[in-house]
Amino acid sequence: MGFRATWHRLALAFRRLSSPRPSLAGVPGRPRRAATRLRAIVLVALAAVLLGGCSLAYPAAGGTVQGQDIRSLYDILLIPVVVIFVLVEGLLVWALLRYRGRRANLPHQTHGNNLLEITWTVIPTLIVLVVFALSMQTLGKVDAKSSDPALVVDVTGKQWFWDFSYPVQKVTVSGAGQEPVIDLPVGETILIRLHSDNVIHSFYVPGFLFKRDVIPGLGNQFDINITTPGIYRGQCAEFCGFGHADMRFSIQAVSQAEFASWIAGQQAAAAATPTPAPSLAAGATTLSVSASTTTGFEQSSLSVAAGKPFAVAFDDKEAGVPHDFAIKDSSGKVLFNTRIITGPASETATAPALPAGTYTFFCQVHPNMQGTLTVQ
Amino acid sequence: MATTTLVRERVGYRSTLFEWLTTTDHKKIGVLYLTSSLIFFLLGGLQALAIRTQLAFPNQALLDHATYNDFFTIHGTTMIFLFAMPILSGLANFVVPLQIGAADMAFPRINALGFWMVPMGGLLIYATYLAGGAGIGWTGYVPLSDAGPGGVFGPGTGLGVDFWIMGLVFLGASSILGAINFLATIFKLRAPGLTMWRLPIFVWTVLVTQTLALFAIPVFTTALVLLFIDRNFTHGAFFNPAAGGNAILWQNMFWFFGHPEVYIMILPAMGVISEVVPVFSRKPLFGYKAFIGATIGIGLLAFGVWAHHMFATGAVYLPFFSFVTGLIGVPTGIKFFNWLATMWRGQISLKTPMLFAIAFLAMFLIGGLDGAVLAAVPFDYDVTDTYWVVAHLHYVLFGGTALGVFAGIYYWFPKMFGRYLDERLGQIHWLLMFIGVNLTFFPMHILGLEGMPRRIATYPATLDWPILNLLATIGAFVIAAGVAVFFVNLAISIRAGAPAPDDPWDAYTLEWATTSPPPPYNFDTLPPIRSERPLFDLKHGAASDGGALAVATVAAGAGGPGGEA
Repeated sequence: MGFRATWHRLALAFRRLSSPRPSLAGVPGRPRRAATRLRAIVLVALAAVLLGGCSLAYPAAGGTVQGQDIRSLYDILLIPVVVIFVLVEGLLVWALLRYRGRRANLPHQTHGNNLLEITWTVIPTLIVLVVFALSMQTLGKVDAKSSDPALVVDVTGKQWFWDFSYPVQKVTVSGAGQEPVIDLPVGETILIRLHSDNVIHSFYVPGFLFKRDVIPGLGNQFDINITTPGIYRGQCAEFCGFGHADMRFSIQAVSQAEFASWIAGQQAAAAATPTPAPSLAAGATTLSVSASTTTGFEQSSLSVAAGKPFAVAFDDKEAGVPHDFAIKDSSGKVLFNTRIITGPASETATAPALPAGTYTFFCQVHPNMQGTLTVQ
Repeated sequence: MATTTLVRERVGYRSTLFEWLTTTDHKKIGVLYLTSSLIFFLLGGLQALAIRTQLAFPNQALLDHATYNDFFTIHGTTMIFLFAMPILSGLANFVVPLQIGAADMAFPRINALGFWMVPMGGLLIYATYLAGGAGIGWTGYVPLSDAGPGGVFGPGTGLGVDFWIMGLVFLGASSILGAINFLATIFKLRAPGLTMWRLPIFVWTVLVTQTLALFAIPVFTTALVLLFIDRNFTHGAFFNPAAGGNAILWQNMFWFFGHPEVYIMILPAMGVISEVVPVFSRKPLFGYKAFIGATIGIGLLAFGVWAHHMFATGAVYLPFFSFVTGLIGVPTGIKFFNWLATMWRGQISLKTPMLFAIAFLAMFLIGGLDGAVLAAVPFDYDVTDTYWVVAHLHYVLFGGTALGVFAGIYYWFPKMFGRYLDERLGQIHWLLMFIGVNLTFFPMHILGLEGMPRRIATYPATLDWPILNLLATIGAFVIAAGVAVFFVNLAISIRAGAPAPDDPWDAYTLEWATTSPPPPYNFDTLPPIRSERPLFDLKHGAASDGGALAVATVAAGAGGPGGEA
């Protein structure tokens, strides 16, 4: 009952608001309390949504000098955007609330006003000019390149992983088979050089508020100066085919001393024996899977021990055709997948421990390639 | 206002189906365009729902990567080339000859040919699903879309991309034929007295749009043919760097078309809004000539902004494209203020066409603002190719174009079929759209700022990505519910809607001076045309226009207010 009463009152308020003005009120704009209150509520609600949206939408400070410059530009851009948004949406809502309803006489037929037209041409033009000048200023700083960078990193976009190499230090971190994590020092100018010999990728680190396309035949380069230590997620931002979503990497920004020891460790590891296979607990099994057609794997059912990680050796025998090996549970959630490889090629990866049960293994490129994985 | 009292007889010697298949009547072709576009709208929408369902939760595999890529490619291609462009052509086909007092388009047979090429192109594009898919994105960036020398692996290895190319060449040819036809119609078939400065705003926007199409689409068609050669003949080498081509060249050609294309899709929707807002405010469009100036200004500037899609390539001259991109916001702003001033001190009635027009204003503003900031290159570096851009383009094309199209359909449906669309179902449709669009696309701004790239088939459970994606997915289903209500409304109203009189909205332009639906030859007689609102003058006379009519007449002679921009 309480609900009905409230609804009734609300409906009444709306009706009062929307009903044609009594003809007695020939002077438009006679204040009416309910309407005024409703207008206030609508405007406050709009402002609340706007503020909420803005606080959510505001990015963290950039982790590089360049990112902080870009972030400062956000502060400037936000002002005209919010002012224009509030002004225009406000005027729209106001016009709707204020000028609703048809009366006997036509409203005054205003055809235009040159002064107003000039005003709303000139003021936005000025805003555009100011924003343009400020953004060009920031651009100059962001795109500036040092003639003497302290560190050079070569980044290569492959289908579908990233390779990183430090040409001077002769250190290479490949993303083949796992998500690469590289270390970079804070407080130094780092020159990033981008390469691709296949399709276009884009090197994107959201924490740096920056990306640059990796284009075959075009050697893009840029400088960064990391200011804040921490881990920065990165991902390919230019659609590059099947494995686009899997092209992730992480940058660990560390002090210069820590970076030096990381480099030394990498050099030592490279000098040692060839990379050992991912270590597995004793007694772990290796699951051998292969594919030679797009109609199905050569194995239709597989089994593996429960509760223990296991190795997957996947062999794509089909020349020129991409496959991967993925495991999903009955709800369709993907629990594990190898990289997508184009045959003839093979791939070894470590799958996580799975609880006992029945799973489906499949190829993400060709979902009709399926089989049953029994975990017991 | 009815000037025709003819009784329409059933034509006895051929079937209705035959008549629709062979018609050259611009009104029937308009309805055919609308029908075909709405069918493709459903198909594109189903793919969007599949995409959103896949993205509802992190790490899902409802769709595998390849199908996901096919879906977003064909979703984009469908919504742009098989929904937005043809449905606007459909509205223009029906409305333009009526609004200029003509009996038909200038070339009725070419008009029919142009229409029938659309479903043919659509069939070719959907044939990609039978030919290995075309998961290359609607932008078809080379080398991914190329299977030429160099051994680059992409979905381009199959026949699918070739079908995609052929479909788009077909649709491009259709658009070029349409553009020539519209320009000839508007320039040559206007009724006596209907000078260019008295043309309805919708006709003006169609005029500018078709001019853009005439200059932009041939460049795209050329690029497509070059890509076809690259893919199928080993020594093409236009775009593939591995064979000595230039990958950036494709992007330049594509966006030289692609950005004017955005205005091809939004200007006629703005034209619809500029018909609806004045009629439902009982006032003339504020700043008629300034509005035309702004439309022409947008049309000119549209050819100088394409490389803002390419800021992150590091291969374009940034200051020029950044500046022109900012500048194109100015004429758009002029339009906004003119719409608001039109409503100001009017008598607004919130019928469904007006509801959609208002939603257009509220949503398109967001799309405009979040696009305008992309002109600032450093900001673009951060958010380009993220969900920020997805939010932006959908606020423009869904919040703008699609809502504008709905406004137009609710507005002209009584003229097309002599019946109203149901008002209550229309309100429900509108409400679901308004909620759905914001719920789907607003969270994408935040996703973009949090670094979620476009076109990824799955995502890890980081930051706020899961909750924001879930909201967007729920919103997509709200939109779907709204679209379902709209189709129910169409199905009911086309047979059983309330009968509409000739001039149901108390409107201003010539299409309302004939019967609903109009006879095949459109008009028996035309009212005198002394302003851009001949029907208003007829109903209310010059006296009720106050002193303003005199101003307008003087202005028409003296160059008029605000031709700037």
